[in-house]
Amino acid sequence: MEFLVLSTLNGLSYGLILFLLAAGISLIYGVMGILNLSHGALYMVGAYVGWSMAVQNGYNFWLAVLMGGLAAGLLGLVMERVFFRRLYKQLNEQVLLTFGFIYILTNLSIWIWGATYQASFTAPILTGSFHIAGLTYPIARISVIFIGLILAIGLWWLQDKTRVGAIVRAGMDDKEITMSLGINLGLVSTSVFFLGAFIAGFAGVIGAQLVGVSPTLSIDILLLSMVVLVIGGLGSVQGALLGGILIGCIDAFGKALFPELAMFFTYLAMIIVLAVRPRGLLGRR
Amino acid sequence: METTALKSMTQLRQGQLLRLASYAAIIVILILLPPFLPSYVQSLMTKILIFAIFAMSLDLIMGYTGVISLGHAAYFGVGGYTVGILLIHYDISMLWISAPVGILMAVLFAAIFGLIALRVTGFYFIFVTMALGQLLFSIAFKWEWLSTVGVEAIVGIPRPAVGLPWFSWSPTSFYYFVLLAFVLCFFLLNRLVHSPFGYALQGIRDSEPRMRVLGYNTWLYKYIAFVIAGAFAGVGGVLFAYHNSIVVPTHLSITTSALVMFMVILGGTGTLYGPVIGAAVLIPVEFYAGLITPERWPLILGGAFVLSIMYVRAGIGVYLFRLWNKVVYRYGSIKG
Repeated sequence: MEFLVLSTLNGLSYGLILFLLAAGISLIYGVMGILNLSHGALYMVGAYVGWSMAVQNGYNFWLAVLMGGLAAGLLGLVMERVFFRRLYKQLNEQVLLTFGFIYILTNLSIWIWGATYQASFTAPILTGSFHIAGLTYPIARISVIFIGLILAIGLWWLQDKTRVGAIVRAGMDDKEITMSLGINLGLVSTSVFFLGAFIAGFAGVIGAQLVGVSPTLSIDILLLSMVVLVIGGLGSVQGALLGGILIGCIDAFGKALFPELAMFFTYLAMIIVLAVRPRGLLGRR
Repeated sequence: METTALKSMTQLRQGQLLRLASYAAIIVILILLPPFLPSYVQSLMTKILIFAIFAMSLDLIMGYTGVISLGHAAYFGVGGYTVGILLIHYDISMLWISAPVGILMAVLFAAIFGLIALRVTGFYFIFVTMALGQLLFSIAFKWEWLSTVGVEAIVGIPRPAVGLPWFSWSPTSFYYFVLLAFVLCFFLLNRLVHSPFGYALQGIRDSEPRMRVLGYNTWLYKYIAFVIAGAFAGVGGVLFAYHNSIVVPTHLSITTSALVMFMVILGGTGTLYGPVIGAAVLIPVEFYAGLITPERWPLILGGAFVLSIMYVRAGIGVYLFRLWNKVVYRYGSIKG
């Protein structure tokens, strides 16, 4: 019982981090048709900026979270305005371009912050553990679950209940018609890219409470969030959330039961979903 | 009038001469020159040819079929790992056994992974191929059976035994062996892309719905192309294991997949000479960057990646080809 609860909580907290990343990729893909492979690198940059603020320079943790998000967001903004704009509708080139950014951002991060793994860190008020019914659980992980869920609800509300969300969804379905209705889709694209990148950096610092910071994150977390998207389906917040929680839990239970094989369960889940529902469990269209 | 005709005749002959001269130059550089070069240059040229095979195999699916895989190194690595496993667990280093088995394993993996990945198209396909490649990478990293004791790699792979008592490998003879394999692969792939099958692949690249309407089973065509590409990647992997004498998990991973994809793009997709030129440019750059600033190499590579995609999208190979045509036109074509 104790094992069940703890593993579920571990899975939820990690899964929600993956959700934040997958949601960003999915949102950017939906609106702009760009598969941003450097999203994991943005996560890593956010995490490093946060680490540098909170641990190296001793600033407030929440300020570090904000700055991590902003740093990633600004990088995203530069990518979108300087590079992707010129590759409109050239999908293959865009994918490869984002791959080039992985190399650049990862190597620059190693240059600036070093290649060593940095242990997880958190805010002073979040250190320590809960003690409920004989169970002990770190407060930091609980806070990750809360923040993740709040953001999930916020994103869902934004995409499904607001005018902005309606524009975004319309852009996903038919760009030309949306533009002909007098909507400045360019502005929407830029804002969505910034938002997605911001969330990635934000998730980087939040996630650093669980997994710390290291340069290999840029590929590792990207792969997991891609598996999340294959399972959940591109284009909807719910899909990314479901995929994230599933993969988080599979990963947590796998690590607890068969530490050597944990990774294979996530891939196995992906292959099964591909065989049964190639568009993902909650994919759009 | 007669003088004009005469003039154009000589110019035509000049054009032919120029073309012949280019073939001669290629022959000199690839066949006659290598024995006189230092052995590290020979080794570099061997590596270029191996990666040229690998890059051409990727271009078969990427440039000719329009299916982008970010996990193509999986089949390259499987080829290499098979050679290594045969050596360390079964004590087989015979060329006639280890090379075919290596290629066969690459085909097998491509056949299985193709079934999984071709369930989906477009971006999902990129995801899935990349994830499957990383799966093999992590297996190779974690499973001790797949490495020499004490390291996370298979080390000490010798050049293959050929069964001839009087024969022993030198860098030069191995270079010629790889050159032979390269010419063979180039010839086969050239035949393939200019066959009805190859034209059907290009049709799928340009418009899959149209080909489907014409009655082609496009899925099957893509699947077969994917497996064939896996086989040629396996050839590259086997040769690279012999050449490099060590296989590491990275040979299976996204790092290698991306590098070879960059070769294809840099040289020019949808051509066979493009990937070769891409390999011929990138391998020396990688070599010298590794000597000068190994820790900044990814940064250089990434920057080159971005710049070439922004500015030389058609590929260096294609530019060179156009330039060459211009030269031939100026000095050798019929102009009044």
